[in-house]
Amino acid sequence: MSLDSWGEPTAAPFPSPPRPSPPSMAEGAERPGSSSPAIHTMELSKRYRRTVALRGLSMTVRRGEVFGFLGPNGAGKTTTVKLLLGLARPTGGEALVLGAPTGDRATRRKIGYLPELFRFQSWLTAREVLTLHCRLLVLPRSQAATAVDDALHAVGLWTRADDKVGTFSKGMQQRLGLGSALLGDPSLVVLDEPTSALDPVGRHDVRQIIRDLRDRGATVFLNTHLLAEAEQVCDRVAVVDRGRTIATGSLAELLGGRTSVRLRVGGLPGRWWEGLSRFGHWAPEGAWARVEAVNPDEVPDLVRAVVGLGGRVEAVVPEHQSLEDRFLELLGDRSTAGQPGSQPGSQPGGQA
Amino acid sequence: MTETVTQTVTQTLAIVTLTFREALRRRLIAAFAVITVGLVGISAWGFERLSHNSHLTSGEVQVSMPQSLILFMFMFSFVVALSASTMSSPAISAEVESGVLQAVVARPLRRSQVLLGKWLGLAAVLALYAAVVCALEFAVVYWVSGFVPPDPVAVGAYLFAEGMVLLTLALLLSTRLSTLATGVVAVALFGAAWLAGVVGALGAGFDISALRQVGSVARYVLPTDGLWHGAIYYLEPSSFVSHRLAQSVDVKGNPFFASAPPTWAYLVWAGVWLVVALAAALVSFDRREL
Repeated sequence: MSLDSWGEPTAAPFPSPPRPSPPSMAEGAERPGSSSPAIHTMELSKRYRRTVALRGLSMTVRRGEVFGFLGPNGAGKTTTVKLLLGLARPTGGEALVLGAPTGDRATRRKIGYLPELFRFQSWLTAREVLTLHCRLLVLPRSQAATAVDDALHAVGLWTRADDKVGTFSKGMQQRLGLGSALLGDPSLVVLDEPTSALDPVGRHDVRQIIRDLRDRGATVFLNTHLLAEAEQVCDRVAVVDRGRTIATGSLAELLGGRTSVRLRVGGLPGRWWEGLSRFGHWAPEGAWARVEAVNPDEVPDLVRAVVGLGGRVEAVVPEHQSLEDRFLELLGDRSTAGQPGSQPGSQPGGQA
Repeated sequence: MTETVTQTVTQTLAIVTLTFREALRRRLIAAFAVITVGLVGISAWGFERLSHNSHLTSGEVQVSMPQSLILFMFMFSFVVALSASTMSSPAISAEVESGVLQAVVARPLRRSQVLLGKWLGLAAVLALYAAVVCALEFAVVYWVSGFVPPDPVAVGAYLFAEGMVLLTLALLLSTRLSTLATGVVAVALFGAAWLAGVVGALGAGFDISALRQVGSVARYVLPTDGLWHGAIYYLEPSSFVSHRLAQSVDVKGNPFFASAPPTWAYLVWAGVWLVVALAAALVSFDRREL
């Protein structure tokens, strides 16, 4: 994906899947090995009376990838998740999940979901909550017992399995929610802010669970505003703002070609870099010089060129742009461009 | 097809069981149980005093027994209605507000299964409560006074039906209103329906057609009072009914007297009311955005 293509999702570099014909949208349309994307939305819109939460969101999540869905508060992330799961109805556009229309009952059997509001029956034990969800998934009893034990182990609640949920901390309840989302060997796991209540150890565990899910071929849709989290686990991300996708691509695509390099060079007169503008945009920085937008592959050539000028290279510090920097840059671009009719933070459906 | 039906039944039964267990585990039910035992104790003392009062003739005792039992059962009918309302008010709204329901509804089941499962689970609790209350009260009254209403099972059935009307109404409201608002509106409507029944009885007593109309209309709009009068009728021995009818006009204005059981047409209407209210709740919940 080129930088120029980040403006609108329709310019995304990966090919859009063919629009499914109506017969494939029948209940239980997904077939094993189906080539349809895990999630595909086309101009998905949601309006709550006067407030627009989503305004034509288009994106594609491929099967087997960890997809980060990023955006500021009120961007429409949670609204999107609710539409994908059939908890709310779109007012426009279309969305397919595992090849079937949103809310399809048979497809929901293959989806694990951790809601942003992770609350469970406080009077049940952790094991009872998971057993209940196994019954709702109609898992055979023998399979359910194993699935519950596996989930309890996976989320680190094994030792508290028979304690009432009402005695759990928020973090433990979130772990339980994650355990519930793992039941039934889902093909797609939708995690809405999965680490919001977790400590660093818990966050590490969640990242490992996400990687494990990817390793066994499941798709993970990670809705988060924790960019470091997305940076660590996501294969691709979409940045959403004011109900629209403003950038989509792999992390490398989003951040690639954006390396800055700081150099400290001795033995050369001031503004020694003026003959090296082919490597990027130069700027002095005290005793250092910074060159921005350098192709990472050209850094050795840059150093060689400086040495060729007679300079003594004392230090070379590459500085990769973080996802956070890029995220803020994207949002800044949007803010500068302005969106008629858009009011930041005026989308209550976005972040419940 | 058979597999789908089995899956649907399994999922719905999971919600029924969950709802039943939850209702029993709540402290609210324990509180109602304590109130019930207290009321039964008071009635035992009252009936013992009444049946062994040397100042009353045997005829007066025969009249006062059913009348007193009707008054006690009115209290129990109020407790049944209150428990039906308080159990079902949070059934949907509280779980939507807390987020518990989102994880459940995202599973591969229809929302109608969730609502129907809750309705059946709460109905089972209500049936159990109505049966226990009637059995306990009638046993205690028989033990201390020897009096048995002519059809105790019918009384229990009418109390249960009355509670089901309120339970379904509260469940319907719960799909749209907050828990508090649902509880307040349901209990207020129950009270208004009973009051309208009293107004209707007064209208009959004083032969004021407008007032009588109020009572009649209210019994169709919310059939709790009409069903309560069914319970009253089956608490009254036939000798009691004929004795009161032989008296003058005052019986017509007595809200604690029923000269006849509800007609079949009325019972059918009550059944239709329940079905329509439940269907409305199903549609309302299905359309609700979570």
